Amino acid sequence: MSHDGCRFKMAADNLPSEFDVVILGTGLTESVIAAACSRVGQRVLHLDRRNYYAGNWASFTFNGLLSWIDEYKTQQEVLNPELEQGWRDKIEEGEDVLCLSSVESSISNLEVFSYASEEPEEEEVVKVAAVNSLPKDSDAQAKEPRGSTTEDQDTVCRDDSTPGDDEPQHQEPEYKLTSDTQEPHQSEEYEKEQEPISNQVESPIEMKRKITYAKLVKEGRRFNIDLVSKLLYSRGLLVDLLIKSNVSRYAEFKNVSRIVTCRTSKVEQVPCSRADVFGSKQLTMVEKRMLMKFLTFCLDFEQHPEEFQEFSEKSFWEYLRSKNLTENLQHFVFHSIAMVNQETLTEEGLKATQHFLQCLGRYGNTPFLFPLYGLGEIPQCFCRMCAVFGGIYCLRHSVQCLVVDKESGKCKAVIDTHGQRISCSHFVVEDGYIREEQRTRAVNRHISRAVVITDRSVLPSESDQQISLVTVPPLEPSSPAVRMVELSSSSMTCMPGTYLVHLTCSSSGSAREDLAPVISRLFHVPSCPGEEPAQGSEEIEKPTALWVMYFNMRDTSSLDSSCYSLPSNVHVCTGPDASLGHDYSIKLAESVFHQLLPDEEFCPPAPNPEDIIYDGNGAQVEGPGFDEAGLAEGVGTEGNSGLQQNNQPAEGMEPAESSGSVAQGTTSELEVPTKE
Amino acid sequence: MAGGSVSECKEYLFKVLVIGELGVGKTSIIKRYVHQLFSQHYRATIGVDFALKVINWDSKTLVRLQLWDIAGQERFGNMTRVYYKEAVGAFVVFDVTRSSTFEAVSKWKHDLDSKVKLANGSPIPSVLLANKCDQKKDGSNNASLMDNFCKETGFLGWFETSAKENINVDEAARFLVENILLNDKGLPYEESNGDRIKLDREAAPAESKSGCC
Repeated sequence: MSHDGCRFKMAADNLPSEFDVVILGTGLTESVIAAACSRVGQRVLHLDRRNYYAGNWASFTFNGLLSWIDEYKTQQEVLNPELEQGWRDKIEEGEDVLCLSSVESSISNLEVFSYASEEPEEEEVVKVAAVNSLPKDSDAQAKEPRGSTTEDQDTVCRDDSTPGDDEPQHQEPEYKLTSDTQEPHQSEEYEKEQEPISNQVESPIEMKRKITYAKLVKEGRRFNIDLVSKLLYSRGLLVDLLIKSNVSRYAEFKNVSRIVTCRTSKVEQVPCSRADVFGSKQLTMVEKRMLMKFLTFCLDFEQHPEEFQEFSEKSFWEYLRSKNLTENLQHFVFHSIAMVNQETLTEEGLKATQHFLQCLGRYGNTPFLFPLYGLGEIPQCFCRMCAVFGGIYCLRHSVQCLVVDKESGKCKAVIDTHGQRISCSHFVVEDGYIREEQRTRAVNRHISRAVVITDRSVLPSESDQQISLVTVPPLEPSSPAVRMVELSSSSMTCMPGTYLVHLTCSSSGSAREDLAPVISRLFHVPSCPGEEPAQGSEEIEKPTALWVMYFNMRDTSSLDSSCYSLPSNVHVCTGPDASLGHDYSIKLAESVFHQLLPDEEFCPPAPNPEDIIYDGNGAQVEGPGFDEAGLAEGVGTEGNSGLQQNNQPAEGMEPAESSGSVAQGTTSELEVPTKE
Repeated sequence: MAGGSVSECKEYLFKVLVIGELGVGKTSIIKRYVHQLFSQHYRATIGVDFALKVINWDSKTLVRLQLWDIAGQERFGNMTRVYYKEAVGAFVVFDVTRSSTFEAVSKWKHDLDSKVKLANGSPIPSVLLANKCDQKKDGSNNASLMDNFCKETGFLGWFETSAKENINVDEAARFLVENILLNDKGLPYEESNGDRIKLDREAAPAESKSGCC
């Protein structure tokens, strides 16, 4: 139990008793709704029963993930002891009660396999011990789930069963920071720095250092392992929303640097941009022309209905086979560009291809972006925006039941897990909090997921910092197509020297049944921890799986409001869905928002903090120096009439506006407008 | 600045957190420092993430200091990771007239250290601010006790500040920035972050944050 449990107790008692919107669950959809409501002045209370943000969208440090796994295994109800605490006396005449579920049930079939060597990892401990006189509380600190991730917001109740976890190596006791204890921010550099100290090179033959389990634990904070694996289409709804709302200021991205496919047993790069196609060594000259011609057609296929009309009732696959394309090219287009299945109709396949092509080149050579520090950042970015506009956040804090007015049939209040009654006009809730009794239809779709930590890329290249989307067509006709995202350490989701691989497909069996065949096809899976492939075997060519986790996540994306019997002002957020992009969740958020507030704009741009000007004492462009005043940009408070926007910083100021209607360009601001 | 004509000019962007209990004067300190403003009447901080102060540190160094205030929700202690990530320094603020806010300091510090670290795993440099010193009743804060406290808790140092009377705010900031700059010696920042993408700059990926030339 961490100290955090009681730290804010006093404050928590002061939770206001009235909000416009209470939102339960901090996944992407709920968080977007929270930001959108707060942004237009609604009083938002945003809760999550978990002790971390983002729910099923969360990302964890390695150690945080181990705790999450433990929690799953013990199936503990996070708020169990507080449940059922006297809410009955809070219910008045003419009111009904509708209880929510307190049990987490969206994850199933969780299995973990560790293949990394179990040798101890010792060298750096010695170094620290030598320096050391630990400050008093750092023993306690060392037992904290470490990691710069705050998903393990407070208690993740580590019971330190993992080797190496007790070592206080990250609790550098010195706060006099001299430059020689400092290492550069960049993680690759860090690895270099460490090398002289580390004697971990076990095998004299191989230069590559073996990564032990203890090392994964020790470097655990460098991992940000997402439960959901998706990418952002560079012209998808999520990117548009991030830009439009200015929430983009909280995130940075990496371009997915290549698209890779696995055909028969060969792993190869898919040429998708014009440059790729012409630069490709795999394609013949004739193929290059064929592919370019076909892709050019797809870009504006609507203009040439004659080209595909006769296939309008037929599948895209059949259509492709009718075109003048080699088998190779059919494979690329079908599996890696359109990314559709055998049932997909021609027009839909063409649309998917077109969307892919339209997204090329906006930010890079592939259509996709990945957020630094993992996808779990994105819901938190929206939460931050909500908070900045006054939204109140409580984790490990849930709702026991809804208070429903018998006459109107509407939810008028909720009773939280501290027994407090909180009135609200709307209640928004993640599907996972809904009890079976409130469902009119059962959910039986699932997503199969695997997370693999490996020691090298499935397709080594000049750069060891590729971020790859790997499409794996069905290995057997009956098995699912699998989508794989391979992340390098530059994505800030894994420690240098490792790759974090996410596999996703719609379930046909358990996650392990669906995905283990793909994993053993692409990776060397040791027969026991630390085992290395025999020299000369086929296995030696493959990256080694150091650690594998399988789980299924319930896929509620096929449900709509007709699937629940709930008051009309209770809005359920379903998802995440199994697809690669985020359109499903963003569309849902926007539609819920418009049900709540039909006349309000969805996520208008937040004022740029650097554009907000106080009072009007002259916007001095260049700070004369440290000790002098005169910076124009800065903090403002909504409702303060001195708040102004400065869109053209070097010139005068715009007249004051209330920030609710601050006009602002969405995409054109410079980061630091006062600079010439 | 100055048109970027100084050929060896180095430009830094530092994210600095300002944390502490409700009402200790975090926003006041930021406003004092950045805008030279003080007002008695701040309510919860709404609509604003951070304030920017540009410092001509010396003839070769330009520092852009982003001071991140905590938003209204933080009184419940649930900051998003967005708040903490990539911060390189912090002020922890308490109110000398309310001892409970001082008692919360070590919790805030502990929380800070568990949530953000420098790339090498050590805590980010942090400075303790004993704010509202203009209202102090007498010498209730014993300096050597405070020195010891800082040492034990892992602060670089402490300052008695008053946002209202503009006491020590600039000095504290200068002290913190000095220490951040020490950490940053030889940081290959531009290179390492060159291919990071910010979405608000349409079709202009890969602009590094620093490097003004």
